[in-house]
Amino acid sequence: MNGADGLAGLAGFLGAREIWQAPLVASLLAGALLGFLGIYVVLRRTVFVSAALTQISTVGLVFGLFLEERLHVEAEHVEHQLGMAVGFAVVGAVVLGALRPRRLPAEAAVGAAWVAASALVVLGVSRLVHAAHDLGGMVFGNAVAVPDQELWIIGGVALLVLAIHLAFAKELIFASFDPETARALGLPVARWDALLYLTIGLAIPVTARALGALPVFAFLTLPAAAALLLRVRLRVAFLLAAAFGVVAAGGGYLASWFGETPTGATMVVAAALFLLPGAAARWVRG
Amino acid sequence: MERVPMRSPGAAAGAPVPLLAAPLVALRGATVGYGRHRLLSDVELAVAPGDFLAIVGPNGGGKTTVLRTLLGALPLLAGRRELPRPLRVGYVPQRDLVDPIWPLTAGEVVAMGRTPALGPWRRPGAADRAAVGEALARVGIAELAARFYGELSGGQRQRTLIARALCAEPELLAVDEPTNGMDPSAELATMDVLRDLHAGGRGLAIVMVSHRLDAVANYARALAFVDKDRALFRVGPLAEMLTPAALSALYGRAVVVREEGGRRFVHPDAGGARP
Repeated sequence: MNGADGLAGLAGFLGAREIWQAPLVASLLAGALLGFLGIYVVLRRTVFVSAALTQISTVGLVFGLFLEERLHVEAEHVEHQLGMAVGFAVVGAVVLGALRPRRLPAEAAVGAAWVAASALVVLGVSRLVHAAHDLGGMVFGNAVAVPDQELWIIGGVALLVLAIHLAFAKELIFASFDPETARALGLPVARWDALLYLTIGLAIPVTARALGALPVFAFLTLPAAAALLLRVRLRVAFLLAAAFGVVAAGGGYLASWFGETPTGATMVVAAALFLLPGAAARWVRG
Repeated sequence: MERVPMRSPGAAAGAPVPLLAAPLVALRGATVGYGRHRLLSDVELAVAPGDFLAIVGPNGGGKTTVLRTLLGALPLLAGRRELPRPLRVGYVPQRDLVDPIWPLTAGEVVAMGRTPALGPWRRPGAADRAAVGEALARVGIAELAARFYGELSGGQRQRTLIARALCAEPELLAVDEPTNGMDPSAELATMDVLRDLHAGGRGLAIVMVSHRLDAVANYARALAFVDKDRALFRVGPLAEMLTPAALSALYGRAVVVREEGGRRFVHPDAGGARP
């Protein structure tokens, strides 16, 4: 691309603001929200719980689309579909978060939930005719069309999650870091865990519908991992992970626009790049 | 099952509190266990101010279950738990249960001890920060406040967890296997910290779980023997419990108790036969 082409591309981008504005803002909000929550996901060693929840919320979307297309139940509006996805994700989050299987490792239950949910998504896609294409975008991510209403929902959820985490940070951190002691000191650990998973269960479906399942899983893992690799204090790690999420989402979106690459995958690659400084620092430290 | 007297065993062994001090917490005719699994029945245990009780027994014998039930962290399956008044508890978990991957400083870990008293909504204030500093100083690691917990040695982590428990300004300090996985020097240092806290003149009661009888023989004032496989729960003053006969009954093999240089040593008889 020469200079003139570059300028023309930039002019075209600026002229198409109505197309990219809502998806870009949704991506930035999702990057911040998921990056922040990812610190809990990574430090609690529940990365695959978030993967399973992402798939479970997609099952909720499929279920909503299935009801509409096959059973002609009114479910075409954003709020109906999100309601389904949120319902599935919150129930899944609370159940998976409370899992303490005695005869099997917890990972086995999480893996079973992930693979079963993935299979249900594939089956759902195979049975849907009109909505199959939309669903492909929701699973792998396109961030192309985000209605204003959906943007407001993502913003509202982000504010709610932020308020909960600011108000109850010390309880959520204590219950996550050392549940044994928290319980012995009388903290209702199960309730704090449920609240944490509720926020994760809210965040995943509303962002997955806009970005897709793959980017959501990536944003719950990569920015937090990148921040934690830098060996900063926990409160700094929360801020850095949110910032990395914002920059990766925005940078990935712009790179996909100008490079004409798939948006979700480009965002994931952008988020993965943030691992490099921490990995390099660890390598230098030996 | 052997039963316990209704008095506080630690107080009877000469703890710095009156003999008839009212218990802080007690289990009466208690059945302890998890869910539907009953581990021990008819447990009678009272802890009074100034007690230093060690709960000992084989691994997997039910020691931690008794401790958690005493603290109210596990529900009773039968019997009752007496708590005459609200009790401030400090709890030191097994070190292995605390994940060092969290990027929290020693000071931040200690500050968690204030969380139950603060309650939701309130943020730590100047008094809480002062309590953190004092707790760190009491266990001798004030200079480590800004270091990451995960970068500390095993002994330093243990002191951090003890400081966190102290930060709650407890009347009862519950400690679960504090010397697990430590070298002898760190083990002695940790036990000395607990001894100094107990002798600190604040009437602090300590209940400690340990499978290392050697580690507690020179510090505790009372012992509780726990072994669910033999339905054994017995508690009493150290002098009555730390005898070859009592220990041999607990461990199922001959045990020797000897004193050397002012310290007690407990070890299996080389012959290995049960007396």
